[in-house]
Amino acid sequence: MAQPIIDLKDITVTFHNDQQVLPAVQDVNLAIDSGDVYGIIGYSGAGKSTLVRVINLLQAPTEGRVVVNDQALQDLSPAKLRQARRQVGMIFQHFNLMGSRTVLGNVIYPLLGQKISKQERQAKALRLLKLVGLEAYAQAYPSKLSGGQKQRVAIARALITDPKVLISDEATSALDPKTTASILSLLQRLNQELGLTIVLITHEMQVIKSICHHVAVMEDGQIIERGPVAQVFTAPQEALTLDFVEAATNVRAAIKRITRTIRLSELAANQELIAFKFIGQATKHGVISQLSQEFKVDVNILFANIDQIDGQNVGDMIAVITGDLAAFNPAVAKMASEGVHAQVIDEQVVKGLSD
Amino acid sequence: MAALLPNVLQMKSEFIQATLATLYMTAVSAIIAGVLGLGLGILLVVTQPGGLLSDQPSYQLLDKATNLLRSVPFIILLAVISPLTNYLIGTTVGTTASLVPLVLGIFPFYARQVQNALLDVDQGIVEAAQSMGSSPLAIIFRVYLKEGLPDLIRVSIVTVISLIGLTTMAGAIGAGGLGDIAISIGYARFENDVTLVAMLIILVLVFAVQLAGDWLVKRVTHD
Ligand SMILES: Nc1ncnc2c1ncn2[C@@H]1O[C@H](COP(=O)(O)OP(=O)(O)OP(=O)(O)O)[C@@H](O)[C@H]1O
Ligand SMILES: [Mg+2]
Repeated sequence: MAQPIIDLKDITVTFHNDQQVLPAVQDVNLAIDSGDVYGIIGYSGAGKSTLVRVINLLQAPTEGRVVVNDQALQDLSPAKLRQARRQVGMIFQHFNLMGSRTVLGNVIYPLLGQKISKQERQAKALRLLKLVGLEAYAQAYPSKLSGGQKQRVAIARALITDPKVLISDEATSALDPKTTASILSLLQRLNQELGLTIVLITHEMQVIKSICHHVAVMEDGQIIERGPVAQVFTAPQEALTLDFVEAATNVRAAIKRITRTIRLSELAANQELIAFKFIGQATKHGVISQLSQEFKVDVNILFANIDQIDGQNVGDMIAVITGDLAAFNPAVAKMASEGVHAQVIDEQVVKGLSD
Repeated sequence: MAALLPNVLQMKSEFIQATLATLYMTAVSAIIAGVLGLGLGILLVVTQPGGLLSDQPSYQLLDKATNLLRSVPFIILLAVISPLTNYLIGTTVGTTASLVPLVLGIFPFYARQVQNALLDVDQGIVEAAQSMGSSPLAIIFRVYLKEGLPDLIRVSIVTVISLIGLTTMAGAIGAGGLGDIAISIGYARFENDVTLVAMLIILVLVFAVQLAGDWLVKRVTHD
């Protein structure tokens, strides 16, 4: 296994605000492989921005080691550090374009003062503007652009130094859903076509779901859960992770809605309300129709949803089963290894949802 | 005309002389104080806590010194620094001698204005520039001064206009100029038309500066 391109070891960042000690990041280890799209999710104040600002040493950690691209950044001279920063592009929620420069001027900015001729600079900037679909706006000023266009300019600017890593700090948080989708697909293209490693901060699981391969969940300065996106999505371990997953799948909301109209106490003795989750291949086979034929049960589907998570299908289904439950339930429980997970919804589950 | 402005008409050349003296004092002290104030303003911004080259002791020193200089009333400054003026210029009276108090009087004021203008530059842009590997010097010139240019021009106009006001006070130490004419001739000899015309010329100068500044601001603003 190659060395990770970003290797943060035992990172702690402590802020001192007038007598107050604020541990923004606590003892975080984070290794990101080259070519990965790594998401970091957490609520406001969790320490996400502080952690990623450590990657290019915009924020010096109170403790810990920062190794990027095989360079221990803390050992570098200021000039060498500035050189190293050029390997890590960064885009921001509020775009941070310079209003005094044209679109082209903004994209060229990182090359000012570098040993590269004006023609080459312009040619390179125009090439990147073409890549992000904005070559027609080269001479416009940022104030004339929409949010999505501004973010594209920021992306072109971040790419002009040929970075190996792109950090996106809530880059889509100020954009509408459609523009968000187009920016995310641009990032995905950059990852696939240029092999760009992307570190993406967000507070929306939807964003993680659409382009990340790995995800880390942050709370109170710590990473509380991490792993491949499909795994974290389908089997979240922490309550906070579950919150984020739920926000993106709406299964819990569906259960709440359903149990308001179908009273569990009104179900017959041979009936149950059950929530299925299908992962991977299980979404393709007719698992349910198979089961209903085999056990002669009636399946009344109340909610169903299928999703793509990091390229893998994940399905959710809520149904009322009528029939021989004593035979059906154990049979379903045995199918976990095939990617079928079922949970019978009883009063206790419903109670757990409401608080 | 002769009835309205009996004294002014006989003093045409004095008025031209005085206007030129006012322009000279304003322009030269504006340039020198501009350079000093811009430098001090930039230093205040970069040394402040959280700044590019954050340095608490330097910031405290510069900040206190700026406040101190700003709190001395100009008319007192004129007198207090006359030994310095004598040392630098060789005399304490005259147009050129007045440049020393004018510069000292205005540059701390300008430095504060510059500081405020630069602090208004979006910190996010500064951070973006840092992430792109810009050096502190590059950020000062390519980000702070460029992004802050419209505001810098605005505060420069305010400063030049204040400076025109100060040159009239410098007339009190025989600096010459329109202020001198208005007071030592118009006021002292009860020649009201002289005072009035001196004032009108000053107003025209102020308007001209304001107009030129507004035009410049418009040219460098892109939103
Ligand atoms: N320069 C600073 N000085 C003092 N405290 C800071 C500084 N930067 C961040 N903090 C504090 O550190 C904590 C973590 O902030 P951070 O910006 O990393 O959170 P975040 O997860 O990015 O949140 P958001 O989603 O709101 O951007 C917050 O409590 C914040 O107030
Ligand atoms: Mg943040």
